[in-house]
Amino acid sequence: MTTAAKKNTGAFRLNMVSRKTESVFHLILGLFALACIIPFIFVIIISFSSENSIRQIGYSFVPSSWSLDAYRQVFNLGDALWRSYFNSFFITIAGTVLSVTMCVLYAYPLFRKDYKLRGFFSFLSFFTMIFGGGLIPTYIVCKNLLGMSNNYAALIVPMLVSPFNIIIMRTFFQTSVPFDLIEAATIDGSGEYTTLVRVILPIVKPGIATVALLTALGYWNEWFLCLLYVTKRDLYPLQYLLMEMQRNAEFLARNSSMIGASGAQAVASLPSQTMRMAVVVFIVLPIACAYPFFQRYVVAGLTIGSVKG
Amino acid sequence: MSMARTGTRPEHIRPRGGASAMRKKTFWLTTMMLPATIWLLLIRYLPMFGIVMSFLDYKLPTRKVPFPLNLLKSPWVGLKNFQFLFTGESLTMIRNTIGYNALWIVLGLLISVAFAIMMSELSRKFLAKTYQTMMFFPYFLSWVVVSYFLFAFLDPTNGMLVRSQRAAGAAAVDWYNTPAYWPYILTICSLWKNTGYSTVLYLSAITGIDRSQYEAAAVDGATKWQQTVHVTLPHLKPMIVILLIMNVGKIFNADFGLFWSVPMNSAPLYPVTQVVDTYVYRAYTSTGNVGMSTAAGFLQNLVGFICIMIANGIVRKLDADSSLF
Amino acid sequence: MKKFLALILAAIMLLTLVPAAMADSPVQVTILLCGCNVTDDAAVLEKLNAYLTEKIGVTVAPTWGTWGNFDQLAQDAVNTGSSEYDILFTSSWNADEYAPYAKKGAFVRLDDPEDDLLAEYGADLKAALPELLFEGAATEGPDGEKGIYAVPGFKDFATMNTWDVNVTLLEKYGYTLDDVKNAGFYGWGDIFAKVKAGEEAERNGEVFYPFIFEGAVVERFVNGTPIVTGDANGLLSYYMNTEDVSTPGAYGNVIFNKFATPEFEKFARQMREYYQAGYIDPAIAIGETATDTWRNAQNAANYLISSEVSLYGYEYTTSEQRGIQVAYVMTTDAPFIDNTSVQGAMMAVSANSEHPVEAFRFLNLLNTDPYVMTLMNYGVEGIHYNLNADGEVEFTEARASFSPWRNGVGNVTLLPPEKGQGADFQQRFADFYAASKKLPLYGFTFDSKPVENEIAAVANVKEAYALSLFTGAVDVDEKLPELLSKLEASGMQKIVDEANAQLKAFLGE
Repeated sequence: MTTAAKKNTGAFRLNMVSRKTESVFHLILGLFALACIIPFIFVIIISFSSENSIRQIGYSFVPSSWSLDAYRQVFNLGDALWRSYFNSFFITIAGTVLSVTMCVLYAYPLFRKDYKLRGFFSFLSFFTMIFGGGLIPTYIVCKNLLGMSNNYAALIVPMLVSPFNIIIMRTFFQTSVPFDLIEAATIDGSGEYTTLVRVILPIVKPGIATVALLTALGYWNEWFLCLLYVTKRDLYPLQYLLMEMQRNAEFLARNSSMIGASGAQAVASLPSQTMRMAVVVFIVLPIACAYPFFQRYVVAGLTIGSVKG
Repeated sequence: MSMARTGTRPEHIRPRGGASAMRKKTFWLTTMMLPATIWLLLIRYLPMFGIVMSFLDYKLPTRKVPFPLNLLKSPWVGLKNFQFLFTGESLTMIRNTIGYNALWIVLGLLISVAFAIMMSELSRKFLAKTYQTMMFFPYFLSWVVVSYFLFAFLDPTNGMLVRSQRAAGAAAVDWYNTPAYWPYILTICSLWKNTGYSTVLYLSAITGIDRSQYEAAAVDGATKWQQTVHVTLPHLKPMIVILLIMNVGKIFNADFGLFWSVPMNSAPLYPVTQVVDTYVYRAYTSTGNVGMSTAAGFLQNLVGFICIMIANGIVRKLDADSSLF
Repeated sequence: MKKFLALILAAIMLLTLVPAAMADSPVQVTILLCGCNVTDDAAVLEKLNAYLTEKIGVTVAPTWGTWGNFDQLAQDAVNTGSSEYDILFTSSWNADEYAPYAKKGAFVRLDDPEDDLLAEYGADLKAALPELLFEGAATEGPDGEKGIYAVPGFKDFATMNTWDVNVTLLEKYGYTLDDVKNAGFYGWGDIFAKVKAGEEAERNGEVFYPFIFEGAVVERFVNGTPIVTGDANGLLSYYMNTEDVSTPGAYGNVIFNKFATPEFEKFARQMREYYQAGYIDPAIAIGETATDTWRNAQNAANYLISSEVSLYGYEYTTSEQRGIQVAYVMTTDAPFIDNTSVQGAMMAVSANSEHPVEAFRFLNLLNTDPYVMTLMNYGVEGIHYNLNADGEVEFTEARASFSPWRNGVGNVTLLPPEKGQGADFQQRFADFYAASKKLPLYGFTFDSKPVENEIAAVANVKEAYALSLFTGAVDVDEKLPELLSKLEASGMQKIVDEANAQLKAFLGE
């Protein structure tokens, strides 16, 4: 908030909308804000509803009886659950650290007007935003050439560089780092890396937070890489655990007549809707807890990064 | 890297310390770019040879003819792989893709600008912050998760809306079988997920406006509405224009998760949920044809490229610093 | 230009070449399976590999694919020419569809005249499996010659389309199984009405749906239209003679647009009537919830009539599980043998395998040696199951961490009987299927390659209408003509013509 904005919190309503209008604003914004979180609360409630209640009154904000069955089923996954929780965190943290490091290192020279090759490197990253080789060739390169198969690398490396984030980061440098600062540091005899780490990075913290959050989100919500490159259950992230339940159900739905009666058992052993709701809660909870803390930086970061991007 | 070229640079960015310092700087800065460059070359550029598969009748690699030599054995078929994108129903999916995108760009813009302005007028900043935090939340969820949220309301046997309709004695709407509702539902979902994000963007821009401009306007007797029109909106204009153009560049790309997961892949809804990305994926799974899927991806890239070039051209005209390249 | 391209490709190839591992014994054979739920295979592999090493100098490393990831894994492996899997599960309905992929050259020909694995190492296999399985497995290879490209699974190899009837509930309302049989699909209205009203009165108004089925298949039950192999999208109908499945139906050997026949319209109208009367759960008309709803209703015995592609001995299993008396009413005079059932679960040796001989020798053993088969399918005795006094299998809790898909592994007739099936179950099972009849269409596979552009377009159209027409969820007067005209516009007739031309050529041979 700027100091000018703070003035408005004073006791008298100088140049402000009438109280009546403001109440209408509160109503509209409040309702929309509520609508943004109510579905999540609803899913939490459903995950704690008993099967009986669901049969009688359906999904409801006030179930007739509560139950921990869904969570018992989830905990029955035992090691698999905690393992994939760990994997999700590990992949997200490792991926974000690496990715942000590479992003900053790439974006910084791009912002330096005195760097001769910036035109070339800008194009190099930008071009890949539009053209790609498609699934099969990428798969071959990643798996056969780079050995990404059943390891954490397969879940981290293919998402390391995002040209979009590079642009955000570059713009951030452009808008918040005065060029004189670099010149001054250079005159003081500071090396390029020292300048970047000691002088520049402290200024662009909000930009880093923004890129970090966007990257972390990408890793946290990712499941397709796991489908492509990983068959070992020890490596499944949480999002894929949910996706697999979904995909199993979908596949059986499409092919049940082909699989015939022997598929009936498979369908019977599919996780119940409430259990899937409980898994959803597990996935969303860390996001819901973590992001309010990031938010301050991200709001600042997004504004500067995207406005100009 | 000759002296002559360095000499042509404008004074203010000419390096101090002559050619060797210049070379040293270029060297160190280039080392910074190396990790991401290697990544880009390996994972993005190397696979690009695959685009050639769009024009081939792809033959499987075998032990005798391993990949990628099998590409030489695959006959050239010209544009045949592109044909399926232009037969029968594909008009519907093109209409859907562009139609939804256009509608959401406009609606998204209007609503988030309005929300941002409203929020800037709230006197209790704590509440404004709380609203903002809540509205930002959906942006962080994956579409699969969102599809469960929606399903809790619309599930034909247990969904809350369905049950309350029955409880009220009305016939329950068969949500996942009735296409008529879905343009609205998809629109709501898209806005629900993205409005918070863009509201935050616009709000930050508004708080950056110098308050004295409003005060001056107020002294001149401008109403709050007039102030919004004459002070706030002009300040938001560059941002609105740039975001608008960025979105137009993506008009041929649909959000796969939204159109696939959220309607639960329900077939009767295809007339209103089929978009380029889902169409291509479904065609691929039904024919398993590598050439066709590569062709579709390539065409999408091409259209995207043209859109972005146009968008970028316009941005450059408006504000050269903001252009992408 | 071509030279330049070749140079680049060669360079890429050099880069992608994985250094070939030194061939040391025993040879490791890798398998990709489908539909498995396996989280811990350590105990199984320990026993299995010790045995295999001694017997044929091989160890196996299975990848237990699930329903959800198999298609992607198999398709990627085949399309990239990966040598990752020596053996691949394949079938007439998976993504690595048997006939087209054999034709594309994805699999090793097992009876190749120049390198006849089947003759050299597969004597036991030939003896153990009925000849007609190999007959059904013969398909065209990349050279246009017919050959065997996969080991067919010895399972319930004839299709049994049945109505699954909840006899307990039926009798509660004074009906008998014969009433259901005699009335037939078009005459169940009265029975549904009575049972629905009765059940709902008893359950305080909770909705009861008597008719819960699998929308994608009932049309085949009612009209007697088996799957035309190769028609992966369910666009085509062939009408069989349900009184004697070994002879052609009223139309002769002709293939139709599934949705354009008077039979189809009549069926769709009847479904609509049932749907509007509230006999059908709307949830089975939605792709995502259909199977869940159908199976859950069955398992909870919360239905009157349902559908099932059944198999021998299944009444016992389901009656036991559901706590009611279940009967299966066959919709044809006998189980019928078609490619779909014969090619329903097979194992192919990958054309990219570095050890095709070892891979085949393992398949030979898997399909002939009860010890190997039981280990791969049921796990280790004493850990995953115990044998009771009658020699029947009783599973333990550890089975939850090791449940491959039973039919997806191989010859199920080698397995010991499950609890309650009786010691002679496998003999009765084999006898039952020996008496099934071959369809006139048996051996025919529709090759969709010449019309794949049309298929891609038509499949998208059909998807939007089929399930809701099959389940009565939409108005027939409005939607059926709409579907037909859209199909026509997308090139449906070309597909039908192509299929009939191929069928003629096939029958003319």
